[in-house]
Amino acid sequence: MLERRLYHHIDWALVVAIFALCAIGLVQIYSATGGPTTTYVTQIYGIAFGIVALLVCLSIDYRSLADKSHFIYGAVLLLLIYVLFFGAVRGGSRRWIDLGVFNLQPSELAKAAVALVLAKFFGDETRRGQLSRGDLIMGGLLAGVPALIIARQPDLGTAVTLVPVLFAVAYVAGMPMRIFGILAIVGILAAPVAWKFALQDYQKGRISTFLDPEQDARGAGYQQIQARITVGSGGVWGKGFTKGTQGQLRFLPVAHNDFIFSVLAEEQGFAGVVVTLGLYLFVIVRALDAARLAKDKLGAYLVLGVLASFSFQVVYNITMSAGLAPVKGLTLPLMSYGGSSMIATLAGFGLILNVRMRRFTN
Amino acid sequence: MSNAEDRRAVTTRIAVIQVGVVVFFAVLSFSFWYLQVVQHARFQEMAENNHQRTLALRAPRGVLFDRNGKVLVENRHSFTISILREHSKDLERTIRVLASVTGIDPRDVRQAIDRHRSEPAYRPIVIIDDASLAQVAAVTARRLDSELPDVVVEEVPTRSYPTDALGAHLFGYVGEASDAQLGDGVESGAIVGQTGIERVYNKLLMGEDGARRVVVNSTGREIRTLEEVAPKEGRRVQLTIDYDLQKAAEDGFRAAGFNGAALIMDPRNGEVLTHVSLPSYDPNAFAAGIDRATWSSLNTDKLRPLQNRVIQGRYSPGSIFKIVVATAALEEGLVTADHTVFCGGGATFFGRFFKCHLKGGHGSVDMRHAIEKSCNVYFYTLGNMLGVDKIHKWAEKLGVAGKTGIDLPNEQESIVPSTEWKRQRTGEKWYAGETISVSIGQGQVSVTPASLAEMITTVANGGTRVTPHLIRAVDEGQGWKTLNPGATADKVAFRPETLAALHDGLWMVVNASGTGGRARIAGRDVAGKTGTAQVISNQGRLAARNSGQDLRDHGWFVFFAPKDNPEIAGVIFAEHGEHGYLGAPIAKHVIETYFAKKEGQPLPTLKPATPVAPEQDPDSPPALDQASPIALNGFGAGGVTQ
Repeated sequence: MLERRLYHHIDWALVVAIFALCAIGLVQIYSATGGPTTTYVTQIYGIAFGIVALLVCLSIDYRSLADKSHFIYGAVLLLLIYVLFFGAVRGGSRRWIDLGVFNLQPSELAKAAVALVLAKFFGDETRRGQLSRGDLIMGGLLAGVPALIIARQPDLGTAVTLVPVLFAVAYVAGMPMRIFGILAIVGILAAPVAWKFALQDYQKGRISTFLDPEQDARGAGYQQIQARITVGSGGVWGKGFTKGTQGQLRFLPVAHNDFIFSVLAEEQGFAGVVVTLGLYLFVIVRALDAARLAKDKLGAYLVLGVLASFSFQVVYNITMSAGLAPVKGLTLPLMSYGGSSMIATLAGFGLILNVRMRRFTN
Repeated sequence: MSNAEDRRAVTTRIAVIQVGVVVFFAVLSFSFWYLQVVQHARFQEMAENNHQRTLALRAPRGVLFDRNGKVLVENRHSFTISILREHSKDLERTIRVLASVTGIDPRDVRQAIDRHRSEPAYRPIVIIDDASLAQVAAVTARRLDSELPDVVVEEVPTRSYPTDALGAHLFGYVGEASDAQLGDGVESGAIVGQTGIERVYNKLLMGEDGARRVVVNSTGREIRTLEEVAPKEGRRVQLTIDYDLQKAAEDGFRAAGFNGAALIMDPRNGEVLTHVSLPSYDPNAFAAGIDRATWSSLNTDKLRPLQNRVIQGRYSPGSIFKIVVATAALEEGLVTADHTVFCGGGATFFGRFFKCHLKGGHGSVDMRHAIEKSCNVYFYTLGNMLGVDKIHKWAEKLGVAGKTGIDLPNEQESIVPSTEWKRQRTGEKWYAGETISVSIGQGQVSVTPASLAEMITTVANGGTRVTPHLIRAVDEGQGWKTLNPGATADKVAFRPETLAALHDGLWMVVNASGTGGRARIAGRDVAGKTGTAQVISNQGRLAARNSGQDLRDHGWFVFFAPKDNPEIAGVIFAEHGEHGYLGAPIAKHVIETYFAKKEGQPLPTLKPATPVAPEQDPDSPPALDQASPIALNGFGAGGVTQ
């Protein structure tokens, strides 16, 4: 399937940047968990499976994948519903299917599936001009249904990452700007209602704590304060590999997971932060190039859809790592510990490379 | 719209997103720069405070030895349980759990925390001093479960008094520093001496606390030690006290069955050999924080066990004061020892009749016999010749008036009146008639046992004032260094005939037909004098008969031995002992112990006292009709003023 000609069109720079980030993440997991632990080894397996997934997604022409997008989408929806009833419970939520070797998290797959189905829907070559209201509603449903199911697990963080997928694709597909405006106004008006009815107490707590971390310096605000201390104490050059006190002595919780970037900032300092931020920026901008260069709208939208949830998570997690956003269980793609996330992310990049690679093919 | 136009729109919108992403990353970089570079110092400090802890290592206080090297006060290990608020996630919960697992009242815990609320949160607040092993185990188990991350158990040296209540007032006790005691190396929560030697020599004894800087993790568990400064133990101090004599004196009081005080010194240099104040208390109860019940019972006890009677109790000296009058008359050259006075059972001065205690009178007596028999008329006569100011002058020279300067805190001033004193106090002039009572130690004379010990010491050594002191040597780290007490300023070298008369008279009190026969030891030439301190005037006694107060008189016995070149001198104060001669057996036991020890003989044991019929006591206050009419100004007739 992978013709020799296509091989030459693989974006090696992007590949190198992606795996550089995986390596940095692995190193920081090693440090945060205190050596070659199960966590560390599992992450290596995650990367290995991710490479397989990337190769698979790279090999099959994205157009044929798009043609089967409704099957993929449907399958993922079924998995999500299955998880809702039969998934493994951890930390009070059902998110995982226990596969023995590792736990599969269908919500991670949902990101790619939604990107694919939205790209297919909006990228239809017969479509012309601005999007109709009906198109938007349809797109909203395609993203909204899995988002709602995921939110029920409950996993609000992952559910929210589907929203940028919709907007990114819809925006580039020509959604009128006034609809953004209207949505923004509706959002602002709905916020108090959502506060009152939709959010759980712990979620409200996180938001109010973010606004004033000192009010609960030992509870929810603790992580935020500790995140800032962790980052700030790193200084320019950092405290050195495995020398970070905040992460090593567990003042910062889940250092290998949600707060991996804080640990990086502590041990590698501002220098490490700049390098890593640069790599992420390069990955995002470079991938957007792939969208721009795509042979068809389908390809461009697919890249954007995949990239939207990735970028949203990167930006949110790094902001949170510095204690500048409310603490939320959102991992940092490519660096945080997590098999499903790693596989899904690398699979997504497989799609992006796929689009760019096939920009000259018919 | 054409496909190409569509394409262009897509390209444009992607470019907009790219720019947006770049801008956002720029903002992120700026934020990290601000946190990591601009505010680095602040966060660095916060991170260090997070994981570094400085724990105080309490220094053991210096050990106190007696003059022969016996340990009198030492340290033992005890556990304290404290709360470290810095690590508290839920202080209320910690208080509840801690109180329930250790079986203490949560209100006490809250009170302790409130007391230290203003202190930095990293300083542990001691909740339980001297915790039991069960309490330590209960807390440690819950610490391992991370259930009480903010509770710490520390092993600390605690003062221990192996001799229990022996010499309690001398050693004093320790306690947490009050706000007024802070500063000069004393930090909040430090244990400092509150009374006695512990207080006076606190700086010497306290030592220097060490510190250990450790790394802890987020649950407060210690990971490793960064550095450790070992605590410096307080100086070892050798006291002048002789444990065996101290014990002999306290045994003596126990056998005699009354409370009181004793201060026994080496008259050659002022070294205090024995210091007794009874009733006593157990300083061990204070060492690790005294509980409220014990403290309040000590404080409300009518017998006042916390009072150091040696330097804080003031009593009428009674006949002991005759020694002062005799010394004054001889040294002033008013009379010689051969001067005789006729005692017919009383004499009239300023139109009043003052009785002697012996109804028939002593007949014609000279100085020596007047001292031996404690003849009131003889001393009325001398007192009248001297006048109150000369009596006061010699009282001061002998150490009876003012303070002795002993190295113990809160010594009371002993009072011997003078015209000046009365004018300042009442604005009235002194009546010569008042002097008559003063000359037999009645009236407004009010002195501490320590001052009488100082007086008899001065008389014993021939007139040299030696300041009583308690410390012999200090180990500054390079072995014992003997402390030489500064030579006393005022020396009263008596005339030889004064010395001979006093020593002879006092020897006769014990060895001839005087009142001190119970202190007689063959071959030791004990000299002494008994006295009675009226607790209340005879009229007052009638009035207060049914008040339930103990109105029995106090007994005095001052002594030294041997008569020539004395080596031991002191005072026995028998509280409500009624008769001075009852203190003599205590002195005898101490003196016997002293010589037995000196000569390497086995120490004498005290035979249980056999009840004897009361003997006629010449020191008893003169009979009712003669009771001092000039007891004035708040000093009940020779009353006890404490």
